[in-house]
Amino acid sequence: MSNSKRINLQQAAEIVRDGSSLTFSGFTIWRRPMAVVFELIRQHRKGLHLIEVNGGSHTEFLVGAGCVDIWESCWVGHELYGKYGANLSRRVANKEIIVEDYSHAEMLFRFAAAASGAPYAVTQTSLGTDLHNPEYDMLGRAGLRDGKRIAKHKYQFTEDPFFGAGSQVLIPAAKVDVAVVCAQQVGEEGTVRVSGQYYSDPEVARAADITIVMAEEIVPEEYLRREADRNTIASFEVDYILECPLGAHPTGMFGRYDVDGAFLKDFYGKTRTQEGFDDFAKEWIFGLDHLSYLEKLGWPRMLGLRANTALNYSTGVKRGQ
Amino acid sequence: MTMGNDYANPEEYGLADLLCCAASREVQDNEIVFAGTGLPMVAIMLAQKTHAPNLKLIFEAGTLDGRPPELPTSVGDARCEMGASRSSGLHDAFSIAQRGYVDLGFLGGAELDEYGNVNTTVIGDYLEPELRLTGSGGNPDINSFAKRTVFIMVHEKRRFTKNVSYITSPGWRVKKWPGGEFVHRRELYGFAYRGGPSAIISTLGVFRFDAQSGRIYLDTCHPGKSPREIADMCQFDLDLSRVSGETLPPTREELRIIHEVLDPEQIFIPRVKPVHPVREPAAVAPSSATSAGVNVLPGGSPVVQPPS
Repeated sequence: MSNSKRINLQQAAEIVRDGSSLTFSGFTIWRRPMAVVFELIRQHRKGLHLIEVNGGSHTEFLVGAGCVDIWESCWVGHELYGKYGANLSRRVANKEIIVEDYSHAEMLFRFAAAASGAPYAVTQTSLGTDLHNPEYDMLGRAGLRDGKRIAKHKYQFTEDPFFGAGSQVLIPAAKVDVAVVCAQQVGEEGTVRVSGQYYSDPEVARAADITIVMAEEIVPEEYLRREADRNTIASFEVDYILECPLGAHPTGMFGRYDVDGAFLKDFYGKTRTQEGFDDFAKEWIFGLDHLSYLEKLGWPRMLGLRANTALNYSTGVKRGQ
Repeated sequence: MTMGNDYANPEEYGLADLLCCAASREVQDNEIVFAGTGLPMVAIMLAQKTHAPNLKLIFEAGTLDGRPPELPTSVGDARCEMGASRSSGLHDAFSIAQRGYVDLGFLGGAELDEYGNVNTTVIGDYLEPELRLTGSGGNPDINSFAKRTVFIMVHEKRRFTKNVSYITSPGWRVKKWPGGEFVHRRELYGFAYRGGPSAIISTLGVFRFDAQSGRIYLDTCHPGKSPREIADMCQFDLDLSRVSGETLPPTREELRIIHEVLDPEQIFIPRVKPVHPVREPAAVAPSSATSAGVNVLPGGSPVVQPPS
């Protein structure tokens, strides 16, 4: 039995089971593991519980495809390229999905708590808002707060017992089964080097029970260990690795390629309806694998997105009007 | 302002220019400013290049004291961190904010009430939503942690409402749970109280809040708008007793910096050519019927569309 952590795209998606709770690396439309997301859709994964610091285009794909029963987060959209999550919005209105709202900092602190083995975090954000409205505890309303993976309460409030600083909000640790991290480099033993802003990747990788890293390239472990201070996630925090160049497309990756804004705009424009989503998925996901997806995108498009190695972003991509 | 009074004539600028300059003038030198995506980012960088050269810029995704040479399209952008003091992640950005470092944050919203409560979550009943929007993002966080916040909003009567559908971001009078009765935010925040919304820059005027009551009042009208006209575009009774005049237009130097230095690609701020009719600034006004929300990012900022 080899102790290799290497797997392929199909195997990565198979680790995520129907009903798993799942989280991702990245930030809105940056460094999302899209190739794994597309494979989950091809495999018709059902009943997923997404718990995310923030959502983005990957959320919209999974939700549109009907893979998600519960979405716990704070925001979804495509930034400049699509102003809200039309698929999530449609499915919430149809009551096909449970949405549990927290604030961005609350979600981040929930992952930080889980990553440090604490059952909850304490914060002073969002006091007085409807985020804290007890009527809007949607997992509670659905009878899903069993105190096992899903916390018994959405929030608890307390007064600071140490310094008398007033109202404090207690928020439950984000307990997740699987994190899929998309990064520039991973070593053969699992050491991850993220270049650029690392968003909430260290927290999500540590919080999840199983962490899969999909990297642009698998590099010799010794190479990363020569400058350990530049690494982001330690080898033993990672359970599986796979190499998948351009695997974040249409989201962007610091130093490698820009966001494909035209693709996201097209997706946002065409998937306001379920029929629209299904057509889009038929064209871009089903019947393709990662290589044929890249072939369909074509070299000219991908070269336009390619980052300048001195600047870490593309100088050729069209961003404005 | 250090740039003199070389104000542009109305045909030389668009609404997005006006909002950008009004927002920029809310920034004071040496402040630590939390930047969201879109127009606020241009406004803050404009301040950095004019009257506030020592401001410190924080991007929510994890860039501290950023000085990006090229305009990022979002706070996760690879363009954020070049020239920054430190590039890290959200844990740093939010810890720093909660610690109390942030002087000013720019935010956006779909609905606003007279106490500055803002909704970016849902239109209609939360449990039976007419339209689900983006969600909170970092809007309530920045609004809870910063000393001052400034909102940039599209002004429509349905958005300037008596009661917002959902309080996403806390204004001056907020709900005390579990009962939900309204109290002054000072009562809730305890030691964490630092301030709250200080200005609303809408597409019609600039609004501020009474220090005692926390109620909104009209401060300046954008060129060509009257106080009465603006009051008619609010569902609540707008206090017109403190109108100080007209919103100052952009100076020619500000317009040059916006269009030649900061956003030459017209990502957020379209260039208005003299003679041509003023184009609806794509960057500011969501147009479709479904766009109940100015796009609100995790940074909580309004994004304005070509698309978004």
